[in-house]
Amino acid sequence: MRFKFPLMAISLEVAMIVLFGLFVEYETPQNASQKNASHQNASQQGNTSSSAKKDQFFQLYPLFQDVHVMIFVGFGFLMTFLKKYGFSGVGFNLFLAALGLQWGTIMQGLLHSHGKEFHFGIYNMINADFSTATVLISFGAVLGKTSPIQMLIMTILEIAVFAGNEYLVTELFEASDTGASMTIHAFGAYFGLAVAGVLYRPGLRCEHPNDESVYHSDLFAMIGTLFLWIFWPSFNSAIADPGDHQYRAIVNTYMSLAACVITAYALSSLVERRGRLDMVHIQNATLAGGVAVGTCADMEIPLYAAMTIGSIAGIISVLGYKFFSPLLANKLMIHDTCGVHNLHGLPGVFGGLASIVAISWGMSTASMAMQAAALGSSIGSAIVGGLLTGLILKLPIWNQPPDEYCYDDSVSWKVPKFRELDNRFFQHANHNHVEHEV
Amino acid sequence: MGSKYPRSLRCCLPLWALELQTAFSLLFCFFIPHDTAQVDHRFMASYQVLRNLTLMAALGFGFLSSSFRRHSWSSVAFNLFMLALGVQGTILLDHFLGQVLQWNKINNLSSIQIATMSTLPVLISAGAVLGKVNLVQLTVMVLMEAMAFGAIRFADEKVFKMTEHIIMMHGHVFGAYFGLTVAWWLSRSLPRRVGENAQTEKVQMATSSSLFAMLGTLFLWIFWPAINSALLEGTKKRNAVFNTYYALAVSAVTATSMSALSHPQGKINMVHIHNAVLAGGVAVGAPGCLISSPWISMVLGLIAGLISIWGAKCPRACLNHMLQNSSGIHYTFGLPGLLGALTYYCLQIVTEPKSSDLWIITQTVTHIGALSFAVAMGMVTGLLTGCLLSVRVWRAPHAAKYFDDQTFWEFPHLAVGF
Repeated sequence: MRFKFPLMAISLEVAMIVLFGLFVEYETPQNASQKNASHQNASQQGNTSSSAKKDQFFQLYPLFQDVHVMIFVGFGFLMTFLKKYGFSGVGFNLFLAALGLQWGTIMQGLLHSHGKEFHFGIYNMINADFSTATVLISFGAVLGKTSPIQMLIMTILEIAVFAGNEYLVTELFEASDTGASMTIHAFGAYFGLAVAGVLYRPGLRCEHPNDESVYHSDLFAMIGTLFLWIFWPSFNSAIADPGDHQYRAIVNTYMSLAACVITAYALSSLVERRGRLDMVHIQNATLAGGVAVGTCADMEIPLYAAMTIGSIAGIISVLGYKFFSPLLANKLMIHDTCGVHNLHGLPGVFGGLASIVAISWGMSTASMAMQAAALGSSIGSAIVGGLLTGLILKLPIWNQPPDEYCYDDSVSWKVPKFRELDNRFFQHANHNHVEHEV
Repeated sequence: MGSKYPRSLRCCLPLWALELQTAFSLLFCFFIPHDTAQVDHRFMASYQVLRNLTLMAALGFGFLSSSFRRHSWSSVAFNLFMLALGVQGTILLDHFLGQVLQWNKINNLSSIQIATMSTLPVLISAGAVLGKVNLVQLTVMVLMEAMAFGAIRFADEKVFKMTEHIIMMHGHVFGAYFGLTVAWWLSRSLPRRVGENAQTEKVQMATSSSLFAMLGTLFLWIFWPAINSALLEGTKKRNAVFNTYYALAVSAVTATSMSALSHPQGKINMVHIHNAVLAGGVAVGAPGCLISSPWISMVLGLIAGLISIWGAKCPRACLNHMLQNSSGIHYTFGLPGLLGALTYYCLQIVTEPKSSDLWIITQTVTHIGALSFAVAMGMVTGLLTGCLLSVRVWRAPHAAKYFDDQTFWEFPHLAVGF
C-alpha cells in the first residue's frame, strides 16, 4: 500500500481544500445574526440581544472541546484493547476522524444550505465531530479486518449517508434527537454491522490468536472509557437549546451514566460462572447509559427516569456482550470486533423507543410518529448504506490483509522491536495470570 | 573518564530545589501583591483558557516525550517539574521587568496564563535534551530559557512593536532552536563512540510507551486551537480557532499518508505521527487570526505536514547523527513556526488597505527582524546554556546512562524487562 493509500489520501485532501474554497466561509457576528434572525422569524420567536448572539461561540466552545476529546482520545483509546492492534486502533482513529470532520462539514453544510455557499460556525464544528463519531462506531465493528484504504472509502461513503439521514431526521421529520442516540449511535452501529456482515471471512470463524487482549492493552482501553464517560454530558448537551434544555441534558446524562455503571458491574459479575468481572463489560457497558439517554436527554423526564434508562441500558449491554455477540457471529455470520451492537446499537434503539414513551407521557412537544420515523430511517439507511459500502469494500483491490495477518499492527505500521517483550514483562511481574477460559 | 555508575543526586537535587523554591516563595511574599479576585464572566473565560493551557503543558507535552522505552517515567515527571518551575520563574521575571523597565504587567489570572504560555517553549526545548540531562541541569535550563524568552518578549513588544499573540507564536521557533543548540552542544562534548553506543541501545521504543506518547499527541492536537486563540478576542479569536481546527485536521491526514509513502513497504511510522500531526497547528498559529477562508489554513496544514514528514526522513542524510532523536522538534515546531511567521507577514502586507511603499519596508524590517531575533536568541542563549550545563558541578549523567530511568528512579522490579 505504499502508493495507493498516500495518493488516495492526498487526492482526497486536495479535493477537500478545493471544496472548502468554493463553499465555506467563516461565520462572523454579522452573518450569524442574520442566520439567527431568519431562523427566529421562521419560528416566530422574540428577539435576542446581539451581544448574546455574539457570545454563542464562546459559550459553546468548551462543550465542543469536550466532544473533541471524546472523539480523539475516548474513541481512539477505547479501540486499543487488542493486544497487537493498538497502533492501528488509535492511529487510524485519528486519521479517519481528521478526514471525516472535513467531509462532514462539507456534506452537512451543503445539505442544510441546499447546495449553496454556507457559513461555518461553532455548530458546524460540533456537528462535524458528530459525523466522525458515526464512522468511529462503525470502525469498531470492522476493527482489525480491514485496510486503511477500505476505511478511507467507508468514511467518505458513511458520512454522505449520515448527512442525508441527519437532514431527513432534523429538517423533514423535525424529530428530537439531542444526544443523537438514533442518528449517530444506532446509525453507526448498524452501518458497521452491515459492512462487517458483507466482509465476513469464513477463515476467521475459529478463534484468531490475535483477537484477544492482554493486561496492559485493556488498561489502555480503559483510558478511552474514562474519557468518554467523563465528557458524555457535554456530548448529549452540545446541540441542545441553551438554558433549561441544555441543563436537563447534562443532569440527565450524568445520572444515567452513574446508574449504568452500577448495573453494568452487577450484571458482569452475575453472568460469569465464578462471579468475576469482565473488563470488556466494564470498558463498554458502563457507557451504554450515555447512549440510551441521548434522545430524550433534554426532555422533561424526571431524574429517576434517566437513572432507570441508564440501568436498563447497562443490563442490555452486558447481556448483549455475553449472549448476543456469539449469536451474531455464529448464526448471522457478523463478527463485531468491538461489540458496537451491544454498546451503540441496542442502547441507541432503546433510547429512541424511550423517547417515544416519554412523548406519550407528555414530556416533550415532539411527535411520536416522527420519532418512530426517525428511528426507522436511521436504521434503514444505515443497513442499506452499509450493505452497499460493504460490497464496494469487498472488491479485491484495496490491499485487504490476509486472514492470518488480521488484528496485527505490523501489516500497516512500523512496530517497535520490543512489542513481544511487553507481554513477558507483565507475566514476569507475577500477576495472577489466569488461563483463558475455553 | 569518570565512573560509569550513576552519580548520586542525593545532596545536589534537594539542596538546589529547596533553595530555589524557598527563594521563589520569599520573592512572591515580598514582591507580588495579592490581587482581589473579581469573579465574573471574564474570569471564567480566562480560567477556561488557563485550564486548556495547563492540560496541554502537563498532559500533552509530558506524554509526548515519553515514547522511549526506558525513559517514560522521567519524561512525564520531569516535564511536570519544569512546568511548575517555569511558571513561577516567569511570573517573577515579568514583575521585575515591569518594575525596572516600565513594562506594564498586571497581576491576576492573566499573568498566570501568560506565564504558562511562556513556559511552553521550555517544554519544547526539553524534548531535545530529555534523556541526556538530570533534573538539576533541567532546572538550570528552565531558568536560563525563561530569562531569554522574557528578554525576547520585552524586545519584541518594545522594539519590534509585535502583539503579544505573535510573540507567543515566535516562542515555538525560539524553543525549537534553543533546544537544538543545547542538544548539539551536549552531544559535541562526548566521545563519539560512547555516545553512539548509548543511543543505539537505549533509544528504543516499546508498544505501550508509544501509545502513551500518542495520548500526549492527541491532547496537544485537541487543545491546540485554545493555545492559538488564547490571547485574542472577538472575531480574531473565532477565526484562530476555526483555522487551527482545519489546519490540524489536514496535517493529520497528510502526515499519515506521507508516512506510509516514505516507507519502502508502505508502513506508517508512529514516530512520524507523534510529531507531524501537530505541525499544522504550529504553522497556522501566527496567521490564524488573519485568515478569513478555511482553504488557506488547510493549505498551510498540508505544507506543514509535508515539511514534517520530509524532515523526519532526512536526519540520517541531512543532520549529524547525534541529533537524530531530537530532530523532531525542528520539523514540528521550528520549520512550521517559520512558515507561519512568514505567512503572517505576507497576509499582513496583502490585507492592509493603505499599503504605501514606506509602510511595506517598515513591516518587512520589523517582521523579519523580530523573527530573526527569536531564532538568533534561541541559538546564542542555547549555546550559553549548553556550556553552563557542561559544568561538572551539576553531576551530569554519564553517556552510558543516557535515556535510562534507572538513573533517577527506584524501580519496583529492577531486572524485569530491561
